[in-house]
Amino acid sequence: MEKLSYAESTNMRYGRRRTRQELRTVAQALPFVLPGLILVCVFILYPMLKNIQISLSEYKIVEGKMDFVGFDNYKELFTEPQRRFWYAYRNNILYAVVTTPAIMLFGLIFAAMINSMKKNQVFFRTMYYLPVITSWIIVGLVFKYLFNGGNRGMVNYFIVDVLHLAPDYINWLKHEWTGNFVIWLLGIWKNIGWAMVIYLAGLQGIPNELYESAEIEGANAFQKFTKITFLLLRPTHFFLIVQLLIGSFNVFLQVLVLTGGDPQGRTSVLQYLLYDRSFSLFEFGQGAAIGLVTGISIFIVTVILNKFLRSEQ
Amino acid sequence: MNVRKSVSQIVLMIILVLGLFIFAVPFIFMVSNSFEKFTFSLPFPPRLFPKEFVWDNYLEILNKQKICRYFFNSVVVTVLTTFFGVTLAALSAYGFARINFKGREPLFKIYLFTLMVPGVLNIIPQFAILNSLHLISTHQGLILLYVGTGICGTTFFLRGFMESVPKELDESVVMDGGSHWTIFSKILLPLSKPALATISVMMMQGTWDDYFTAKVILGSNEKLFTMPIMIQRLHGQHATKWGLVFAASILMLIPVIILYVISQKYFVVGGISEGGIKG
Repeated sequence: MEKLSYAESTNMRYGRRRTRQELRTVAQALPFVLPGLILVCVFILYPMLKNIQISLSEYKIVEGKMDFVGFDNYKELFTEPQRRFWYAYRNNILYAVVTTPAIMLFGLIFAAMINSMKKNQVFFRTMYYLPVITSWIIVGLVFKYLFNGGNRGMVNYFIVDVLHLAPDYINWLKHEWTGNFVIWLLGIWKNIGWAMVIYLAGLQGIPNELYESAEIEGANAFQKFTKITFLLLRPTHFFLIVQLLIGSFNVFLQVLVLTGGDPQGRTSVLQYLLYDRSFSLFEFGQGAAIGLVTGISIFIVTVILNKFLRSEQ
Repeated sequence: MNVRKSVSQIVLMIILVLGLFIFAVPFIFMVSNSFEKFTFSLPFPPRLFPKEFVWDNYLEILNKQKICRYFFNSVVVTVLTTFFGVTLAALSAYGFARINFKGREPLFKIYLFTLMVPGVLNIIPQFAILNSLHLISTHQGLILLYVGTGICGTTFFLRGFMESVPKELDESVVMDGGSHWTIFSKILLPLSKPALATISVMMMQGTWDDYFTAKVILGSNEKLFTMPIMIQRLHGQHATKWGLVFAASILMLIPVIILYVISQKYFVVGGISEGGIKG
C-alpha cells in the first residue's frame, strides 16, 4: 500500500465522510423538495429551453413536426411591413412610463390620506382595493362599455351632451391614441389600490417620534412629508417601481378586451401579439420568438433596476 | 388647534369619498346594469340605474347559458390547484428552510431566477409539453400547469416565514427521536398557518381570475371552460349581450369579495413587500 502523508490520509478519511454526509442531507431533503422540483423542471425550466428551440423552428402543431428554420421567425417579426412588433414594444414601454408614476403618485396620496384618518381606515382601504381583486376580464368589459364610441357610452355622453366639452362623440377604442389612453386609464384605475395598500404598510412602519421631533423644530406638513415620509418610503418606492415595470410587460387582457390591438396593431402589446400570432395565426415559432425577446427584455430591466437599488443603498 | 384638526379630518373625508366614487362607479354601474333589460340597442341616454329592475339576465345565464357548469369548473380548478400548490410549497419550503442539503442555495437561486421572467412567455412550450402528454383540454393538465408554475413564488414566500420559526422548537421533537417529517408536521406546519392562509388566498384569487392560461389549455373543450373564458365569450365579435356579461361578472365577483373580506385577518400585506425587497 502506498504511504500517504498525514495530510492526505486525513483528507481521504474526512472527505469520504463529508461526501457521505452530503448525500445524506440530499436524501433527507429529497421527499420534501423533489415533487416541487420535478414540476419546476418540467413546466418552467425545460419550457424556457424549448422556447428557444421553437423560436428557431416552424412548429406544425397538427402534425407535431418541428422544422429548423434558423432565424427566419425573428426576421419576419422584425421586418414585417406593418411593423406590429415594434408598435407592440413601443406600447409596452409607453404603458410602463405612463402608468407607473401615476399609480405610485395616487397610491401614495391616498395612502397618506387614509393614514391620517382617525376612523374608517379599514373601510376606505377595503373599498379602494376592490378594483385590484376584480378580474381583468370584468373591469375590462365594464370599461369597454363605459367608453363605447358613439352616444351610448357613458363617458361620451358626459363629455358631449352633459358638459359640452367636445363637439362630437369620440370613438375611443378604434383610434390609436384614444385607445391607448383607455388602456392606460384602466391599468392605473385598477392598480392604485394595490400601490396604496403597500404604501400604507410602509407608512405604518415610520415611527411617530420622527414627526413629533420635526414638529418641535417647527416643520409644517409639507416639510414633514418631503423630508421624512417620502425619504423613508424609499424601499417601498423601489419595490413598486420594479413590480410595476415588470408588470407593464405583462399587459394583455386590457388589450384583448378593449381594442384587440386595433387599429392595425397600433394599440397592441407584446403578450397580445404573442397570443395572436400563436393561436390565431398558428405561427408558434414567431410567438416563441416574441416570448424570448420579451423575457430577455424583462430580465435586463430587472438586472439594471437591481443594480440601481444596490448602489442607492 | 382642535378645530383645525377636525376641519382637516372633514376635508380628508370629503376627498376620500369623492375618490371612492370614482373607484366605485364602474362597480355600481355593473351591479345596477345587470338588472337592466337590454335590447339589441344600448339604452340612450346611458344611465346609471335602469328604468326597471328585472331579473332577466340572471335567469338567462342560469338557464340558457348554464353558468352553473362554468362556475363549478372554476371552483374545481381553483380548489384543486390551491390544495396541491400549497401542499407542495409547504413541503419544498420546509426542505429549503430546515435541511441544509448540498446544492440548496444554487437551486434556490434558480427558483428566484424563474420568478424574474414571467412564466406566461413560456406558454407555447408548456402547451407543447402538455400536448405530448395528451393533457390539453383537460382540467388535470391545467391544474398541473398552474401548480407547477406557482411553486417558485410560494416556496420563496413560505421559506422566509419558516425560517423565522425558532429552531429550538425543532429540538424538542428531535430529542424524542423524531424525523424531519415529524418536525414538519408537528411543529412547522401548524405554526405556518397564517402564511399558508395568505398563500392560499393568493393562489385562489390568481387561479379564479385567470383567463389566458385557461383559454390556451382548455381551448376547444367548451364543457370545461372556466368563468373568465365564459364571460369573454359572452362578449363576442358581434352584438355583445351586456346584460349577461354584467350578471355573469357579478356572480364571478361574489366569491372573490367574500374571500377577500374573510381573509382580512390573514392578509400579510407587509410580508409581501418585505419579502420582495430583501430577496
